[in-house]
Amino acid sequence: MNSNPVIKSLPLPAKITGLRQLSTDTSLFSVRLDDGEAARQFIFEPGQFIQLSVPAGGEVPISLASTPTDNGTIELCVRRSGHVTSLLHTQEVGARLGIRGPYGNGFPVGEWKKKNVLLLAGGLGIAPLRSLLHHLLRHRVEFGDIALMYGAREPSAILFKEEMVELGNRTDMHLFLTVDFASNESPAGLICNTGLLPTLLKEVNFATENTVAVVCGPPALYRCVIVELQGSGFSCDSIFLSLERRMKCGVGLCCHCAVGDLFCCTDGPVFRYTDIKGIREAL
Amino acid sequence: MAKDFLRHSSLPLFLKELAAYGDVHGPVMTDDTVPAFGRIDSPADLRLDNRRALIPPKKYLLPPRETVLTFSPDRGYRHPPVSERKIILFGLHPCDLAGISYLDKVFTATEPDPLYLKRRRNLILVGLSCEPDDYCFCGDMGTGEPSQFDIFLHCTVEGYRLAGGSPQGEQIISGISMLLSECELLPHSRQACLIERKILDAAACNETFPDSPLWDDFAARCLSCGACSLCCPTCYCFDIREYGSLDGETAKRLREWDNCLFTEHGKVAGGFNFRNNRRARFLYRYQHKYLGFGPVRGIVACVGCGRCREVCPVRIDLLDLFREGGHEQQSCN
Repeated sequence: MNSNPVIKSLPLPAKITGLRQLSTDTSLFSVRLDDGEAARQFIFEPGQFIQLSVPAGGEVPISLASTPTDNGTIELCVRRSGHVTSLLHTQEVGARLGIRGPYGNGFPVGEWKKKNVLLLAGGLGIAPLRSLLHHLLRHRVEFGDIALMYGAREPSAILFKEEMVELGNRTDMHLFLTVDFASNESPAGLICNTGLLPTLLKEVNFATENTVAVVCGPPALYRCVIVELQGSGFSCDSIFLSLERRMKCGVGLCCHCAVGDLFCCTDGPVFRYTDIKGIREAL
Repeated sequence: MAKDFLRHSSLPLFLKELAAYGDVHGPVMTDDTVPAFGRIDSPADLRLDNRRALIPPKKYLLPPRETVLTFSPDRGYRHPPVSERKIILFGLHPCDLAGISYLDKVFTATEPDPLYLKRRRNLILVGLSCEPDDYCFCGDMGTGEPSQFDIFLHCTVEGYRLAGGSPQGEQIISGISMLLSECELLPHSRQACLIERKILDAAACNETFPDSPLWDDFAARCLSCGACSLCCPTCYCFDIREYGSLDGETAKRLREWDNCLFTEHGKVAGGFNFRNNRRARFLYRYQHKYLGFGPVRGIVACVGCGRCREVCPVRIDLLDLFREGGHEQQSCN
């Protein structure tokens, strides 16, 4: 799909097929295009995003949090944050939505074969990295060591708790969780550190040779994590960042998402650190 | 010798002929005395002495606010119908023609915008030569020589020399041959100005004047009114909004002019702002205008119309960067 520019500019009708609350303000929406054939052809790469329409609310860029499935259902991890996402959170299974996309470049997983992959997610940054992790685990033999370091504000804000329990039990990957603030509540079945993600990174020994680091999180996270990664021996071209910008169109026209002379929507949202480190206000 | 000369006295007849192709719009003076592009119902409406319209002709291709999609539960999102009636835009100065040419690169190149394409196909561009004033420098940006037009009128003392720039323009000119006579070739003069070379050299080197004290000066004075962007023929940033109807079922999605000088422009979900001060927003504007990004990366977007310099209430002039930046030719490093 999407070869026709007219179709690409038009959100295709879709419906919510499943809904799972992940925290007080974040839910996982399963969404499927109404047109079964279009749904099956909706192929995307981890790291890409869609433009999600909520009728009468508007459109927002949302990372794909899953990998392509046989029946074309996609999963979107959305926090109630602004006008459109608040309206989305009032919707129920069966509600009408619209989808354009997929957009953006996605993670260059083809380049990472035989390499170790370190995923660093802060807060909602877990959404695109969940898609990436699913891809890596599905093609497990093609990659070296895999580790996910995931930091949340507090235990109740840890997203995908059940999945984290499963990931923690796997022997073919490492999971490290941390929360900024500990409370009395402890996440069931999860081993969780207390402290910021960069601190956790400092404490965990991870081979930097033949390893790529992939970071996604709130703006403040990037700078500290990058400093730690470089201190651990990661080179700039082995650090990949998925950036957030206010992408109104997704196709390089509205000019809200420029990072230097690059567009987050069409040149990104995944950038190699080498390509953006000299750019003002990139991070 | 070619028969391509239109006397001043024949202009009303020429306009009448043009009206056969669609609605004629051109420079007018609004009731509240603003020079503008508007509908020409009679030759008396035409104000060819307007130096420049306050709002450039981009409004014909990208209206300040337009419905880009409609939603209904049974039909989903649909493009709204766009008028198929042709508009003849008469009296476009070379800078404004260059502005349209730039927008064409953005909206019809890599990701063609269906509404823009429809409107663009229904525009007939009739250019008109002009004399620069203290604000504009279009001759110096290489835009004084019109590049993209259907018909272009070179002014002389007694009338206009017509040139066709497209098959449609040639066809219109051949249809009015009874109004045309022969004329001596005009001597071509192109004004030279030092600022042109400086701008092009700086852009070629990706110059951002990071150490210039002017950025702080601009930031301190700027009112964030956005007038410079609003009246720029090549500023096209847009915002998208959607409004539900009172019936609770249908909705309209609007595309509106946005402005990189506004605080909201760089905000993301959660409230973080990547350009939270005026200095950062000025740098963003500079980047877009002189260095470009996306499909127009490397293309200087300034067409030298002078509008931003004329309308800025606090007299900020980005050209000061090039004047005072001391950027010497061949000093890319």
